[in-house]
Amino acid sequence: MRYLTIALTKGRLARKTLELFGRIGVDASGALDKDTRKLIFTNEDLGLRFFLAKGPDVPTYVYYGAADIGIVGRDTIIEENKKLYEVLDLGFGKCKMCVCGPASAAKYLENGDTIRVATKYPRIAKDYFLGRKHQTVEIIKMNGSIELAPIVGLSEVIVDIVETGSTLRENGLTVLEEVLPISARMVVNRVSMKMENDRIADLIRKLREEIARQEDTI
Amino acid sequence: MNNRVIHTPEGVRDLYGRNKKNKKMLMHKLDGVFDRYGYDDIETPTLEYFEVFSSDIGTTPSNELYKFFDRDGNTLVLRPDFTPSVARAVSMHFSDNAFPARLCYSGSTFVNSREYQGILKESTQMGIELIGDASAAADAEVICVICDLLLSSGLKEFQVSIGEVNFFKSLAERSGLNEETVETIRQLISSKNYFGIDEVLDQSDAPSEIRKALSELPQMFGGPEIFEKALQYAVSPQEMEAVRRLGDIQAILTEKGLDRYVSYDFGSLSKYNYYTGIIFSAFTYGSGEPIARGGRYDHLLGHFGTDRPAVGVGLYLDQLINCLQRQMIPFGQDEEMLRKGDAT
Repeated sequence: MRYLTIALTKGRLARKTLELFGRIGVDASGALDKDTRKLIFTNEDLGLRFFLAKGPDVPTYVYYGAADIGIVGRDTIIEENKKLYEVLDLGFGKCKMCVCGPASAAKYLENGDTIRVATKYPRIAKDYFLGRKHQTVEIIKMNGSIELAPIVGLSEVIVDIVETGSTLRENGLTVLEEVLPISARMVVNRVSMKMENDRIADLIRKLREEIARQEDTI
Repeated sequence: MNNRVIHTPEGVRDLYGRNKKNKKMLMHKLDGVFDRYGYDDIETPTLEYFEVFSSDIGTTPSNELYKFFDRDGNTLVLRPDFTPSVARAVSMHFSDNAFPARLCYSGSTFVNSREYQGILKESTQMGIELIGDASAAADAEVICVICDLLLSSGLKEFQVSIGEVNFFKSLAERSGLNEETVETIRQLISSKNYFGIDEVLDQSDAPSEIRKALSELPQMFGGPEIFEKALQYAVSPQEMEAVRRLGDIQAILTEKGLDRYVSYDFGSLSKYNYYTGIIFSAFTYGSGEPIARGGRYDHLLGHFGTDRPAVGVGLYLDQLINCLQRQMIPFGQDEEMLRKGDAT
């Protein structure tokens, strides 16, 4: 049997995913084993392989078929814009993509000024401002600590993920506009979906049932 | 002399030695398949007027075309695919008694695609067009040709996924939804985004049985057993006919022993209005993109003169070669040497 390879997003998303897989009888806890230096965990009984990758790389692995399946946030899927099948909302990793800044920056969003927007997500920011708000903006691509940008005067506002909002508050920033809701998604390579339809469809069905069961109990 | 340019631009390349020989021999072998099915060669120019590939005809977005101006200020483009060129040439040169016409082509196509996608901007396409035959037998013939092309290349595992655009078109029409919503749903179905469709449909006022059908579409794929599922939702004559058409094709392919290479997908849609019946893509391991694409386009020739039914397929040769290499399948010269090695 050919291995089905699953790419997981490093960090909390991977832990939650493996927890969910555990509940449908797919054991892959070894993938999170801190003591080993092995990059790939194999479940021989089920013919599955797991590996961890940085979020933005997950759609890339899946698009090229290096992984058949990927678990990744919707923000990353939209930002990377690869042709993939997005088959399942896993229901966790929920947060929102927002435009944030000091409360005083709200006026810039209303009168269509040309402002600077710092973000890790240039595509999402561009789609939102140019496509939906029809506001001309200058987008500044950053790689971390986006909150810093409006504080030190690099940009007027930022577009970033907001979970609890505590980092924003501590730095005197606030959510100005909501762009889109985010959660963890399962993506599938288009070729794998055709070639390994039975196994992948079975996995999706089991996960979907388990997610529905969970939602019912809440 | 330090800045003398000897490197190729991104997305194009030189091919020589063993790799070129392998490709040449593979093309020769595939040409043999065209011959066996009785297809005649046609050559069209690399440069065409922009209008031949404009948005209501072509399959390539305007911003991905290489465009030039001629001396009179007309816009010219490097062909991004062959089908509109062949349709134009046939409309110009062929008389009524020339049909059905079986034509095959091979040559370079040019798409100014996004960077870093690992896809060449100049790539070789080989394909066929069967013009003047509206039957399911014609559809099946084209699918047989693509299966035979792939089999004779040495590929063993591949899937041709066949859809029918009228099934969705008719559902969308009956839903009474506006164009924008239909387009959103089409994109969601294409990316098999089940939950996204439900979200959009829940906010719409489409009749409930159509909502149910649309939300089932991304899951309506698999073997011929899904015809029954599709029939549960088929109400209009177009929908019934779409399912029946795929059933007829399946029957012919089964007879030819090719049915194990095909699957059906009612959620396989195209954003181009060009397709009017079946559409299909061929997939194999080693590539994120289809290695061949085709479909029925009964109104394309109408853009250049008279409407004629037509169906065709294009094979992306460089993609196929990548897949053969990644699957460790020897082809061309390598295959021949291997065979000679076995004989001695």
